[in-house]
Amino acid sequence: MTEPTASPRLKGWHRLLAFLAVATTVVGSLIGLFVVPPDALQGNVQRLMYLHVPAAWLAFLAFFVVFVMAVLYLIQRDPRWDMIAAGSAEIGVLFTALTLILGSLWGKPIWGVWWTWDPRLTTTAILLVIYVGYLAVRSFAGDPDRRARWSAVVGIVGFADVPIVYLSVTWWRSLHQPPSSPMSMAPSMLWTLLLNVVAFTLLYGYLLVRKYQVAVAERALEDREAMR
Amino acid sequence: MEVWLRTWAILWKDILIEVRTKGTFTAMAFFAALILFIFSFAIGPDFDLLRRIAAGLLWVGITFTGLLALARTYHSEELAGGLEALLLYPGEPRAIFLGKLVGNLAVLLLVEVILYPVAAVLFHMDLTGKVLPVAGIAFLGTLGFSVIGTFYAALTLHLRAREVMLPLLVLPLLVPVLLGAVSATAALVDPAAAGGVGGWVRLLIAFDVLYFVVCTWTFPVLLER
Amino acid sequence: MAADPALRLQGVGKRFGRTWALRSVDLEVQPGQLVALIGPNGAGKTTLLKAVGGLHRATTGTTEVLGFTLPEDEDLVRVHSTLLPPHGYLYEQLTGLENLRFARLMAGVRPSRQEIDAALERVELVEAGDERVGGYSSGMKKRLAIARLLLRPVELVLMDEPYASLDAGGIDLVDTIIGELRRSGATVLVASHRWERAIREADLLVVMERGRITWTGTPGEWMERREGPADTRRGRGAPRGAGEADTGRGG
Repeated sequence: MTEPTASPRLKGWHRLLAFLAVATTVVGSLIGLFVVPPDALQGNVQRLMYLHVPAAWLAFLAFFVVFVMAVLYLIQRDPRWDMIAAGSAEIGVLFTALTLILGSLWGKPIWGVWWTWDPRLTTTAILLVIYVGYLAVRSFAGDPDRRARWSAVVGIVGFADVPIVYLSVTWWRSLHQPPSSPMSMAPSMLWTLLLNVVAFTLLYGYLLVRKYQVAVAERALEDREAMR
Repeated sequence: MEVWLRTWAILWKDILIEVRTKGTFTAMAFFAALILFIFSFAIGPDFDLLRRIAAGLLWVGITFTGLLALARTYHSEELAGGLEALLLYPGEPRAIFLGKLVGNLAVLLLVEVILYPVAAVLFHMDLTGKVLPVAGIAFLGTLGFSVIGTFYAALTLHLRAREVMLPLLVLPLLVPVLLGAVSATAALVDPAAAGGVGGWVRLLIAFDVLYFVVCTWTFPVLLER
Repeated sequence: MAADPALRLQGVGKRFGRTWALRSVDLEVQPGQLVALIGPNGAGKTTLLKAVGGLHRATTGTTEVLGFTLPEDEDLVRVHSTLLPPHGYLYEQLTGLENLRFARLMAGVRPSRQEIDAALERVELVEAGDERVGGYSSGMKKRLAIARLLLRPVELVLMDEPYASLDAGGIDLVDTIIGELRRSGATVLVASHRWERAIREADLLVVMERGRITWTGTPGEWMERREGPADTRRGRGAPRGAGEADTGRGG
């Protein structure tokens, strides 16, 4: 069985990634907050979209990564896949919570309520619970082998559910209200949004690398203790 | 062939034990009916309201009772000393999943046979002429519930905080099933309800097929030691 | 031409969470041999039996059983071997007969009344066959577990504390059955605290402690090491020193 190794220091491309992640995030946030003109209808509150949408994108991307890693782990039983999955889940759950909070903050001035059963937001809320379940299984499982196996299964079964949940909630909502028309966006807003999506993705990548390094160090420590 | 013998072994054994341990099923059925009663009290004698939300209340009752039943999936094995009681014998591990699945499905369907009439009475649901389609939807929903639940019952068996973990893992996955079963049942039973039944039925079937395949296929991973 | 060994373990280790139940076990057993495993609780005897039986996947090392490689051929190994666990894993709400029926069905075989009755007769449980196992004494439960074992003849038999809970008659029964299994050509591994006839007559004695094999040899050699040349002792526990670490002939 291949034992994963990684130096705790930042390698060359890690530094580049860190720099790009921070740079794009800062630039993207500044542009989103100050440079781009506010929305005609919604005003400055709409600027939350520049954080909310990328966060949502990441919430689902992170879980997709968990899914892929889980499948790889079950096929190859390489502990590295499991470590990446765990890191991705921990990052993903934060972004999911962020998405929900921002969505709520955005919704209050616009719709007057803290929570609407918007299909996307609802699916995100359920995704959060699935994440929590995944992390709880990892936390409560006995040994590293079971932890990896069981969380892999939870990750796979959970991910398969997300599109189905989205579909069913969309139908369910459409029974009670007409579908909301997609927002049309000025080009400058679209570009800012894309910039922030890229920024968040780079940030995610960097955090994942760091999480992986921590996981490797933890595992080395566990192995040393077990050998005693 | 051998797989079916194993599946039958588990089903037969669980039925025998259940029949000999008098009272468990009855307690479960009473518990389910009690939940519906409590809903009636909590919501009050607004019969129009009750009728409109009847399908939802019914399925909440089924869900809670179902979670109880699922938690006991491997109860007889635990009393016998552990899952080894099944793993001692070489053979297809998926047969264990199938045997337990049919067992859970049977228990839940039996509870529903009692529960639906109780709900019809308490919530003024009019089921005349619609018993077969309503039963069909109940079956599809219960099947989805049982597949996911039986699967995770095996996973949570050796997990800490298992009584909490089972609902935590099962419920988010069941959202489509609940939405489908409730909406379809409501559409059938309540003339004022919006929406058609066909789409929901297709969703339930798709869900059931997908998860039956995924869970059956992945089940051996849960049994590895 | 030497036949393939029935068992070949090299550097086998098994980890549960943070504890290693088996460490670096090397063992070779020829077909038809009777091997006795002795050692204190926690020595790793049960884990070793389960690893050999394909019920545990080893963490390290290579495991070859009956010519099959584990863990790839786990299923084949489990078909050709059987384990008698210290705990019966019997369903107490079912009768003895029903437990055996269940065992046959789970092995993928339609149960036949004759073979089940024959097995019950062999372990002298015929009258209790229709009673619920919940009412059995621990000795009767052990006999039922042995009956279950007999219903599936295999090439490799693994027994974990077969003498536990048995009276003198039961102990004799186990010894006799082990003898029959040997004559049928099966390879038998027995883990035991008790120093019964079958242990004394084993082809190979393996001493374990804290997950490692600390000594292998014949029972005769073991007794000479511990007691000096001595008469055979009748079952009251292994000769003194079975629990001590020994750097004599290593495994």
